[in-house]
Amino acid sequence: MDDSVLTRDHARAPAALDSRLEALLLHHEIESFNARYAQALDEQRLADWTEMFTDDARYVVLSRENFDRGLPVGLIYCESKRMIHDRAFALTETSMFAPRYLRHFIANLVVLGAEINGTVTSRANYIVLQVLFDRPDATLHQVGVYYDVFRREGGALKLAERRCVYDNLLVPNALCIPV
Amino acid sequence: MAWQRVASISEIDADGVLGVDVDGSPVALYRLGNEVFATAGICTHALAILSDGFVEDGKIECPLHQGQFDIRSGKALCPPVTEDLRTYAVKLDGNDVCIDMERPAANAAPGPNAGDGIRAAAQENNADGRKSTGPNVQSQEWLTQRYVWPEEGLTRIPDWVYTDHTIYEREVEKIFHGRTWNYVALECEVPKAGDFIRSNVGPTPVVVVRADDGSINVFENRCSHRAAEFCRELSGNVKEFVCPYHQWSYDLQGNLAGVPFRRGVNGKGGMPADFDSSRHGLHQLNVKSHRGVVFASYARDMESFEDYLGPEVLKEFEATFDGRKPRLLGYYRHTLPGNWKLYHENLKDPYHATLLHTFLVTFGLLVAGNRSLMLADATGRHGVMASAKSERKSVSSDAKKEMRAYREGMSLAEPRFMDFVEEFDSPWSVTMATIWPNLIIQREMNTLGMRQIVPTGPHEFIMKWTMFGFEGDDEEMTRHRLRQGNLMGPAGFLGLEDNEAIKFVQDGMQHVPGGQHLVKLDPAVAAGTSESLISEASIRAMYRHWRVEMGL
Repeated sequence: MDDSVLTRDHARAPAALDSRLEALLLHHEIESFNARYAQALDEQRLADWTEMFTDDARYVVLSRENFDRGLPVGLIYCESKRMIHDRAFALTETSMFAPRYLRHFIANLVVLGAEINGTVTSRANYIVLQVLFDRPDATLHQVGVYYDVFRREGGALKLAERRCVYDNLLVPNALCIPV
Repeated sequence: MAWQRVASISEIDADGVLGVDVDGSPVALYRLGNEVFATAGICTHALAILSDGFVEDGKIECPLHQGQFDIRSGKALCPPVTEDLRTYAVKLDGNDVCIDMERPAANAAPGPNAGDGIRAAAQENNADGRKSTGPNVQSQEWLTQRYVWPEEGLTRIPDWVYTDHTIYEREVEKIFHGRTWNYVALECEVPKAGDFIRSNVGPTPVVVVRADDGSINVFENRCSHRAAEFCRELSGNVKEFVCPYHQWSYDLQGNLAGVPFRRGVNGKGGMPADFDSSRHGLHQLNVKSHRGVVFASYARDMESFEDYLGPEVLKEFEATFDGRKPRLLGYYRHTLPGNWKLYHENLKDPYHATLLHTFLVTFGLLVAGNRSLMLADATGRHGVMASAKSERKSVSSDAKKEMRAYREGMSLAEPRFMDFVEEFDSPWSVTMATIWPNLIIQREMNTLGMRQIVPTGPHEFIMKWTMFGFEGDDEEMTRHRLRQGNLMGPAGFLGLEDNEAIKFVQDGMQHVPGGQHLVKLDPAVAAGTSESLISEASIRAMYRHWRVEMGL
C-alpha cells in the first residue's frame, strides 16, 4: 500500500466533513439569530433589538422600487448603531401610534459567503403580519428580502448591515415597528 | 303654473344642449330639429351637469359615467342611470324659450314627475350617503337641502364632508377635474425624450412623458378604444405607447398613430370609412411646468400658474425651488385610511404640531412660541405653514407646562441628523406648502419632498412622496437629506404620527350620525393668514373656498 495515498485520503475526508459541518453550523447560527431578532421585534423589545447591531451598522428599510432603480431613499435610514438607538428610543418614548401586535417571519435563508475574518453575507425572505385591535384579521404589513452582512463580536454574530427591501410598494398607513 | 323665459333659441346649438339656471335649479335645454325640450340639469345617478354631456339621436349622455336619457321623455336608457329624469313643458314665444317648472313635458316618462315625494322619502331613510348610485337629484336646491352646512358657519365642519360618496364624486368632478392645477411630476423624473412616469390627477391615472421636442405631455392612461389602462410600468423610456389589448398605438403627444386592421381584412370589417384618427387620441391635459415642477389641468383655459398660486404662496414655492435643478432621491408610497382633505387640514393646523409631535418639541424643532406663520392665499385654497427652528434652551417653562408632549432630559445619540444646513433664502427653517388640490411641498429643514395626494374614495387616499435634493449636492449633503428623512414618510418620527392621527379622525366619524368637527381656534382671524400657531383660521379659509367650488 502506498502510504502517501492513504495519508492524503485521510486528510481530505475530515476536512470536507469539517467544512460541511461548519456551513451547517453557520446556517443554523444565522437562523437562530434571525429567530431571536424576530422575537425581539414581535415583543417590541426595541432596546434588545438595538443590541443586535455592530456600532457602525447600517440599517435601511427601502422599497423595491427604490432599490431596483438605485435610488437611496429609505423609510428608515440609519447609518450607525447610534441612529438605530435613537429610532428605538423615539418609538418607545415619544411616538404616538395605535397599539398593535406584529409577527415577523424569516425564511429561505441563503448564506452567500463567509470570509476568513468572520464577515458573513446572506439573504432571507421576510414577512410581517400586523393585528390592529379593531379588526378581526392579521394583515400582511410587509413582504420582502433582508440583504445582510454579519460580523463576529466577542464570538457572537451581529448585524453590520441589514437592508430590508420590501415588495409591497404601498405601505399600509404607517410602519411603526421596524422590520 | 307659470311660464318663464329661460333662453333665446339661438343660444342652443342645433342637436346641442344648453345649461341654464332657473331660480337656482339647473335645467338642460335641448334642440332637436325645430323642437326644444327641457329636463332637470343634473343626472339622477351622480352629481354631474348634463349640459356638459353629449346629444346624439335624441338622447343625452351624461359626461361623468356615460349614462343616457331620452331627451323627450326623460327616460333612463342604460346603466348606470336607473331613475328617469324630470322633464319640463316648453313653449316657444318667437325666439324666446319658455318653460314651466311645474309641468312635465307632454310625452314625459310616467315616473319622475309623479312619485317624487315617495322616492325622496325613501332616499332620506337611506341617508348614510354611501350609496354608489346617487340619490334622486333634481336640482341644486335639492343638493343644498340634503347637504346642509351647520348654522354656526365655518367654525363647524360636518362629517359628511369627509364620509359621503356623492360629495366625493362631486369633488373629483368640480375640484380635481375642475379649474385646478394638479401636481403630476418633477421634470427630473423624465429627463430624456421618451422618459415617462405613471401619475394621477385626482384618482385618474395619467402618463407624464417627455416628447422628442423636449415638451412634457400629460394624458389619461386610458386607451381611447376600450378604456384599457395601457401603461403598466411605474416609469421607463419608450418610442411610443402601445395598448396591449388591441395594439392601438399613440405617439408621445398622445395622438392616435395606428389602428390594426383599420381597413379590415379582404375588404371586410374594419373601421368605418370616415373614422378620423385625429379625433381619437388620448385625452390630453393642459400642462404647465414651473421651475422643474410639472402641473396638469383638465381645464383648457386655466389661469396662469403664477396667478393660481398668488404672490405670497408663489414666493414660498420659489424659495424652495430656488433655481437649482432638483435631483430625484426616491419615493415613499402609502395608503392612508382617511379623507384626503384631512391631510391638507393637518398642514393648515399648526396647533397639532406642538402637541402631537413629542419628538419635534423635545428636540427643539418647533415649540409654541417659535417664530412662525400660518399663511393662506387670498382664496383660502393654498397655504404655507412656516416656522423657524429655535435653540432648545429657549423653551419657556410656561410653554413646557402646556405641552404634555415635552420631556425633560431626553437626548439623541446622533443629534446631527437634526442639524439645519442653511441653503435657502428664507427666514424659515421649515415650510409646508399646501398647494390645492393635491400637493404638499415639504421643506422640513433639509429633507425635501413632494407629497402627492391620490384620492381613492371618501375614506382613503394614496400618498406618493417624491423625495429630492439638488444637483450640486455633495455626497455628505445627500446623506444628510437621507438621514433627516427619518422624520418624515410613513415610518418617520413625525410622519407616522400624522398618518395615525388622520386615521383616528376617520375612525371617529364612522358610526356617529350627523356629527360635526369644531374648528374655532383664533377667532380674531375669521378665515385666512394667522401669525399664531394656535389657530385654525387656515382650515376655515380652505372650507370657505371648498364650499364655493362645490356649490354647497
